Amino acid sequence: MELSEKLVRGEGRFVDDIQMPGMLYLGFARSQYARAKILKITGAQLTHREVNFEVVEVGEGATEGGPAALSHPVLAGEYVGYVGQPIAAVYSDDRYVAEDLIDSVEVEYEPLKAIVDPEESLKREGMYPGIKSNAIVDRYFGKDFNPDPSDIVVERRLINRRVATNPIEPRGIVAAYDGHKLTVWVSTQSAHSIKEGLSEALKMEPDRIRVVQVDTGGAFGLKGGLFPEYVVACYLAMKEKRPVKWIETRREHLLASRPGRGVVANLRLYAKKDGTITGLKGDVIVDNGAFTGGSGEFSPMFIARQLAGAYKLPNAYVRAVSALTNKAPQGPYRGAGRPEAMYFIERLMDGLADKLKMDPVELRLINAAKETYTSPLGMQVEKSREFLESAIKELNYEKYKGRENVGFAFLILYHATAGGESARIKVEEGRLKVWTGGNAHGQRHDIFIKTLLKEELGVPEDLVDAMKGDTDQLADGVGAWGSRSSMVLSSAVIVAARKIKEQVEKKHGKYTLKALLEGNWDEYEFFKYDKTESSLGANLVTADIDSYGRVMVKECLSYYDAGRVLDPDNARGQNAGGAVQGIGQTLSEELSFDEDGLPLITSISDAGVLSADLVPKFGIKFYKSESPLPSKAKGLGEAPTIGVPIALSRAIELATGKLILETPIRPEYILPEERA
Amino acid sequence: MNPPIFEYFAPTGIDEVIDILAKYPGEAKILAGGQSLIPLLKSRISSIPYLVSLSEVKGLSYVDEGKEGVRIGAMTVDSDLENSELIRKRFPLLHDATGQLADPLVRNVGTIGGNLSHADPANDLPAVMIALDARFAVRGRNGSREINARDFFLDTFTTAMEPEEVLTEVTIPFWGKKSGGAYVKFKKNTWNFSVAAVAVQLELEGNKCTRAHIATTSVSPKSGRMESAENILVGKALTDEVINKAASEVAASAQPTTDPYGTEEYKREILRRITREAIRKALSRAGVN
Repeated sequence: MELSEKLVRGEGRFVDDIQMPGMLYLGFARSQYARAKILKITGAQLTHREVNFEVVEVGEGATEGGPAALSHPVLAGEYVGYVGQPIAAVYSDDRYVAEDLIDSVEVEYEPLKAIVDPEESLKREGMYPGIKSNAIVDRYFGKDFNPDPSDIVVERRLINRRVATNPIEPRGIVAAYDGHKLTVWVSTQSAHSIKEGLSEALKMEPDRIRVVQVDTGGAFGLKGGLFPEYVVACYLAMKEKRPVKWIETRREHLLASRPGRGVVANLRLYAKKDGTITGLKGDVIVDNGAFTGGSGEFSPMFIARQLAGAYKLPNAYVRAVSALTNKAPQGPYRGAGRPEAMYFIERLMDGLADKLKMDPVELRLINAAKETYTSPLGMQVEKSREFLESAIKELNYEKYKGRENVGFAFLILYHATAGGESARIKVEEGRLKVWTGGNAHGQRHDIFIKTLLKEELGVPEDLVDAMKGDTDQLADGVGAWGSRSSMVLSSAVIVAARKIKEQVEKKHGKYTLKALLEGNWDEYEFFKYDKTESSLGANLVTADIDSYGRVMVKECLSYYDAGRVLDPDNARGQNAGGAVQGIGQTLSEELSFDEDGLPLITSISDAGVLSADLVPKFGIKFYKSESPLPSKAKGLGEAPTIGVPIALSRAIELATGKLILETPIRPEYILPEERA
Repeated sequence: MNPPIFEYFAPTGIDEVIDILAKYPGEAKILAGGQSLIPLLKSRISSIPYLVSLSEVKGLSYVDEGKEGVRIGAMTVDSDLENSELIRKRFPLLHDATGQLADPLVRNVGTIGGNLSHADPANDLPAVMIALDARFAVRGRNGSREINARDFFLDTFTTAMEPEEVLTEVTIPFWGKKSGGAYVKFKKNTWNFSVAAVAVQLELEGNKCTRAHIATTSVSPKSGRMESAENILVGKALTDEVINKAASEVAASAQPTTDPYGTEEYKREILRRITREAIRKALSRAGVN
């Protein structure tokens, strides 16, 4: 059965579908306070006394060696740093009883004044004893410069508030131990990243750990990493020698997973009177949360480095800070720094256009990079003018120009191609099995794998099985994130296929499909790639606002450089899904907190996820190009979450006459005034 | 998310239901659709040791036209109300509300009796029934008694029913010939509770308003009549000026609080605008343009 049909029929096998004899169900007692000292824990089966591990950083944006004192304890030690932080674990062979046991854990706290706002955090006392500053990253990019006094300046304070990743399937794991080997079934974007993380956290030899991916119901960056709960599940499976299951509830997801965004930027853009931009200054501050192990050590630098957008920016000097706050650690969410960076520069460009009374797309055209160059902030900006000219034509911008409800976004998407990816093709009994290092979590890698193998080897699609991640079947692997799979994963498959073809040729003198299918072949390829590739994109959005300030997105059009489009249907699906998330972030999705750091959003109905009645029609067109990779493709999975919030914010700005500086846009801010 | 352990009863007769409620006073609760109760149990916000389902009790699902009004069985699901031609014709206010109540999946299972007995001020039907002047038949150990909708809702999640009483029937009286009502609900996403909603039911003689009932959803600890605003309408021709004044009065006398749905001030302004819209709609349905 086709994968999508299987999933739609409810015949997928997700982690919570796994049942094993003797299985234990794990639950967590979590912090009620945003910041507190723990005085006493009673009624718990496991606390940090038994499970004294820390979670190291793995997955997208992982950096080596953060400040060790700030690693996320698997179970809280002396302090808790956010509401929802796991303090103690309980378990039972009855799932209901496991949840009852959570309520029987009692924790005595000494509450401390929470640090909620990242900018305030920089002025406050260290969050933990021995920590002098709450800035875990504080770096400058570019070079200080003196702006020309006659330059125009646009100054903005821009905010992307925290949002939950909210995949349909929450986090979950099953762990089992046979006395020597730990086997883990998990909902993930990267089986290998989970394996690496578990090996480091549990201090176990990697070859004693097998991680198997099951059907994964959405991930959006969240499921690239390892979580405290997973480490406890594995510890318990080994301690009790029984299988252990932990499934996250939606409430736990909203409190204690790894939300994305959460970035403030205070920026000044300088330009000549003709619109040519001359420089950018300011700071970017990430709301890191209470521990490392998310993406906060990486994201401020990644955002700062991208702030030239797709433009020729001669001067720049940007401070990149990540501040400790009493919230769950920030994590990667579809785009992971890319949407924030483009939002900041693009909103500044719209502001500059207004100041100069220029058409905002005309202003973008003036500043589009005519040649590929390295921006003062460090990223290579590809030549972008040609693409923009083409986008203006293909999106029919002339038709919309001057309208009071249209927004335009011009973006550069940096693909996480660096690091490469792996693939293994095994031929036996006339069928091809394909394992890949990046694990699909809704993108349908299987479709392009089949297309490519048909091209490379002439194998009919129905003889190919695209396997889910399994670290015992594949020596190494990276992960599916950062708009990379159509580029490096596909290329690994192509190279592995070519290796097999060579083998067949070597043995039989020439390659035939018959010779391939009748033989036994097994090839592994780690496709090495060190460069960060990029591609350009544009979005055009129109929106209407009613007298109650309700926003209806009318048109949501995309024009992306996806290189060779491996599967147009899939690309359209990626575009629609990403655009819905972009609209959600702009209009309603937010994880908000009160002044004590208590989360205000604890239920899916309040999380602001878009409902179907607010979803517009989407249009997508592709720019013709080829990437330098064997697959010739370029990624696009994150493009809509980058471009749509920018274009929609502008459309709303024009429709309401109010400067849009934050996502989500609060409804009270855009409620139209009534004329008396 | 799994609820704490509870005992489940599904008796076939209403007297048996009442017996079980009486046996576990304060610990037993009626399950009548479960669209609020089950989420509360699953999220462990509530713990209820004894659940008594009404699903096996026959004869509690009907919409009947009587001489004085329409009688609705407590187990009638919201979508049956939404699709009832009788309700659409006689009580457009209720028709408006049932068409916007949560989402179709909830409406197919949620019941009128459950919606009202839960007494959540964010539920739509309390305000609707108060505005329509409905009466609730409530059965207990000593037989039936009737409670007016306006006296039924005491506080958030608290009604005038005794622990062993069950709501069995709702009667909505017919209003005068020249009457009309409307429910205007403002919500962000389909599956959200409302930011604010308002039920308006009017009766007129000539162009003069003789009777006006206004009740709100989501902006007070309990749904109740907005009498100061009603008094502005009664005895007058409903000019724009009068309507605006009444709408402002509703907004001023509501008690919204700031939360992720919006600030207090924002909710008052939304309430003012939807009240104005609801009065105009009710007026036009009463045949006054």
